[in-house]
Amino acid sequence: MDLSLIYQSLLLALCAAGLYATVASGLTLEFGVTRIINFAHGEFVMLGAFQTYFMFELQGISPVVGMITSGISMGLLSIIVYWGFLAKVLKQDEHNQILATLGLSIFILNMAVILWTPDTRVMHAPALLPTLKFAEIIIPGNNLVVLLVGCGLFLCLMAFMRFSRYGVQLRLASDDPALATLAGVNVDRMFCLSFVIGGITAGIAGGLVALVLYVHPYVGMDLVMRAFAIVALAGLGSIPGALIGAVLLSVIEGIVANFVSQGASWGYGVSFLIILLVLLVRPTGLFGKELRS
Amino acid sequence: MKSLALKKVAVYFVVIAVCSFIVLANDAFSMQLTIGVLITVILALAWDILSRTGQVTLGSAAFFGLGAYGMGLLSPLLGTFGAWVGMLAICGLVAMLLGLLTLRLRKMYFAIATLGLALSLQVLVLVFRDWTGGSSGISPPVLLDADPQLQLLAITGFVILAMFVSDYFLSDRMRPALFLVRTNPELASASGIPVVRTRILIFTVSGMLAGIAGALYGGLYGYVVPTDVFTIHWSVIPLAIVILGGMDSTLGPILGAVMIKTIEEIARFYIGGVGYQVTYGAIIVLFVLFLPGGVLGLIKELFKQSVKGRI
Repeated sequence: MDLSLIYQSLLLALCAAGLYATVASGLTLEFGVTRIINFAHGEFVMLGAFQTYFMFELQGISPVVGMITSGISMGLLSIIVYWGFLAKVLKQDEHNQILATLGLSIFILNMAVILWTPDTRVMHAPALLPTLKFAEIIIPGNNLVVLLVGCGLFLCLMAFMRFSRYGVQLRLASDDPALATLAGVNVDRMFCLSFVIGGITAGIAGGLVALVLYVHPYVGMDLVMRAFAIVALAGLGSIPGALIGAVLLSVIEGIVANFVSQGASWGYGVSFLIILLVLLVRPTGLFGKELRS
Repeated sequence: MKSLALKKVAVYFVVIAVCSFIVLANDAFSMQLTIGVLITVILALAWDILSRTGQVTLGSAAFFGLGAYGMGLLSPLLGTFGAWVGMLAICGLVAMLLGLLTLRLRKMYFAIATLGLALSLQVLVLVFRDWTGGSSGISPPVLLDADPQLQLLAITGFVILAMFVSDYFLSDRMRPALFLVRTNPELASASGIPVVRTRILIFTVSGMLAGIAGALYGGLYGYVVPTDVFTIHWSVIPLAIVILGGMDSTLGPILGAVMIKTIEEIARFYIGGVGYQVTYGAIIVLFVLFLPGGVLGLIKELFKQSVKGRI
């Protein structure tokens, strides 16, 4: 096989890592703080993708604006979902917590199927950045946008968690809710905040999806499955782990899709084979800390 | 205690009576519907049995698919009876292994790992396509010469078997043990319950039951494709059924399956396509919020209140 082709596919896989990391970091933040796996996270991504798509196709609004507004609207939707639904579920046992967000995900997914049909759509937006060319290696501009936005968002999230007042409160609420309450942190509000931040990242990720992938109701499910694999691989709750996991996974996926015959049809099954293996060796993932029960 | 046993026997009688009535009425549509309900009853009972040790599995589809594929692959080699035995052995073995491997996993990781199993099996089917038929699927032999009356009778038999198994794990001997294993494993092992062995046993039994459901499903049409049996749909259905009917019981999943099929058929009529699955989501969300005990829990609550009122 041609060497430049290998580089090209690896670089494209790295660009996809930007998208995966965006989805996975929101998911892992939500889990780290509230101890709930948000199965509906993927559906927020999907809704964001549809919003960006419709804003461009119907009104001609630039995908950049679309991305930002879908971030905002998914953040707002998260507030509604949290106070209307999740806050009540948080007080029930773990059984129901897993079921609740899964039910929500199935509900939103199929509502989208009913409203917009399961057909795939393509957003015919002009590329936001010029195409990069090194000799024979070609990286389309939009894939570059995905990488840059993904990494930028990730750095913002890290900085927010590390340096901002709310970030410190979030970390305390996640480490020890009882102590956080004593220290004067409003734990309920922190839980809500983590879902809002998760929603915003999901909405922006949705915009990225509209840029580089087909838009259809199942796109969120596809992505969130990979995000599960990433966060389980890295350790639930570890935000830096999400980036490393995303890079690992996208590169492995790229290799399988390009160098194994019919490997492209394996999809996220590959990632699950990997996490099954990792969980065997380290039940808390590569970078996960021991969780309190 | 005696009245409880009587109630259980009554449930069996009702199931047998309703099913025989439908067999005798010999109406093609209602038989098809009943077969669909009964297969999901088996799957839901398998899920419920596993959940009694506190393990929330999202991997029912893995064993469902394994059952269907096991029959398809083993029937030409071992004959029908041999294939059933082999299929059960494979499902049991895989479940036992998965149980051992996931023993150390926390609940959330367990849910993800079991979710991954179905997807991984789907990949394996695609990888070994010379052997499994890849994405074009395989053809297990059709159950009982495609005679719907006989099929329904046989499936009723399997449902009764699944109910027996479920009731065994609800018996005075097993129920307290499972409750302790679920709520406080340390206390359970301190009181002499072999926690690991119990969990593995439950896992194996649950896997075999789900395998039976899959084998029956594959035998109905004599045609199985990986994108049908290994999809998340078959992992979600048991959840919705058990949430709707009521957890930790034999009657709950039966009630749930009947109700969900009814709702599903209505939704299919009005919505059509695949969108009818919106009902699963709506049911799960509403019941988790307002009726975590399911319909059975509601009935029990009402019954208790009426008894109190009389006294």
